[in-house]
Amino acid sequence: YQRRVHGDFTSNTSTNMASRYDSRTTIFSPEGRLYQVEYAMAAISQAGAAVGILAKDGVVLAAEKRITSKLLDQRKSTEKMYKIDDHISCAVAGITSDANILINHARLEAQRYFYAYKEPIPAEQLLMRICDLKQGYTQFGGLRPFGVSFLFAGWDEHYGFQLYHSDPSGNYGGWKAKAIGANNQSANSLLKDNYDEDSSMSLDDALLLGLKVLSKSMDTTAPTPDKLEFATVTRVAGRVIYHVLTKEELESLIKKGESMLKEEAAKESGGDI
Amino acid sequence: MSIMEYNGSAVVAMTGKNCVAIASDMRYGIRMQTLAADMRKIFKMHDQLFVGISGLATDMQTVEQKLRFRTKLYELREERNIKPSVFANMVSSMLYERRFGPYFIEPVICGLEDKKDQKNVPFICTTDLIGAQCFTNDFLVAGTTTDQLYGVCEAMYKPDMEPEDLFETISQCLLAAVDRDCLSGWGAIVHVITPDQVITRELKSRQD
Repeated sequence: YQRRVHGDFTSNTSTNMASRYDSRTTIFSPEGRLYQVEYAMAAISQAGAAVGILAKDGVVLAAEKRITSKLLDQRKSTEKMYKIDDHISCAVAGITSDANILINHARLEAQRYFYAYKEPIPAEQLLMRICDLKQGYTQFGGLRPFGVSFLFAGWDEHYGFQLYHSDPSGNYGGWKAKAIGANNQSANSLLKDNYDEDSSMSLDDALLLGLKVLSKSMDTTAPTPDKLEFATVTRVAGRVIYHVLTKEELESLIKKGESMLKEEAAKESGGDI
Repeated sequence: MSIMEYNGSAVVAMTGKNCVAIASDMRYGIRMQTLAADMRKIFKMHDQLFVGISGLATDMQTVEQKLRFRTKLYELREERNIKPSVFANMVSSMLYERRFGPYFIEPVICGLEDKKDQKNVPFICTTDLIGAQCFTNDFLVAGTTTDQLYGVCEAMYKPDMEPEDLFETISQCLLAAVDRDCLSGWGAIVHVITPDQVITRELKSRQD
């Protein structure tokens, strides 16, 4: 399903008038498409970008903040990243109010699992429960799907660090690196070129790659800490730590990224001669 | 025999100068038979909040798990630790939800919280099995050993004790009281909570 959307969809919207098969979630079109689900994905591709990268010692989540006004007075620590449980966190792209419902549900599910089994919920188990909920909104009830895509980052003792992506259809996949939201096609191809599978990336490499990819896919050119949110999921002394980078840490990361870019540019020009 | 005396327990909490202490026995028994001497009846919710639960052992475990569930969600949503006084209200309303089929427990909530003009103010509170709260400034007791604990605490307590003093006092009170109750004892554990750290000590006591 994902292949279809990312490949063909952009050309479809510009020429497509409201089809007879798109007003209800619970019917297929003659070509076997669920238009409401696809429209939900269109809503997400307008939203601020989010990137997730799996490193050998942790997971990096990075997101672009769409700051709409300087009058905004945000009290919560993050706009696009949320902690689901101690060992699972997520980044969001899409309609924030829809995301809040699902995040609340995810938190409840994680606690219910812990209450029943006295063990933290494995990452994929949590994801399955959320995705089953999303799927329900594509098959019955007549309610529209959730206009949110998630990147879940977590650790469990069965599979170590994991990164998952889930979309409005209720499908999910495990990824080594993934971008969602605005400009995700170019971001994903950048990730494909730069993600180092063989020597397995460290957390610092992943942070720099995330910064590089986000900067290239954002509308503006120069990244600044107030436009970005970065979080890492790592393990320290047997405990999983979810850490949102502070303004200072972001500034030093941006500086590091800039100096690396300068080095790369110098190397390229040196090589030509 | 009352259902609250089926397992037996002793829990006591005391306030000091910018510190609190909570202590309990470690007996797990069914009626007159002792089955274990390593049962934890005091649970940490976060670094500055502990809750000790006396009463029926199965309800003690269930209530602890339910409280952990609710506390965790509170922390995730509000992005901060729950204050002891707020936690006490939560315990009270949770117990009252089961007004006509209650959990057979008596919890003792103990912690440090920041008030408007003061930091790290000691807070202790206990409720009955259906959530009626009792707040004091000095000490609170729960379990099958309450009569004895009231006596020793009233005699030995003095306000504004330093952490070391508080530890001595609460330990001696607990050990003296459980010796006069056949359903509690078999070891004791004391947590002293200060603004910087929590010191947990297990006491050597009579194993009977």
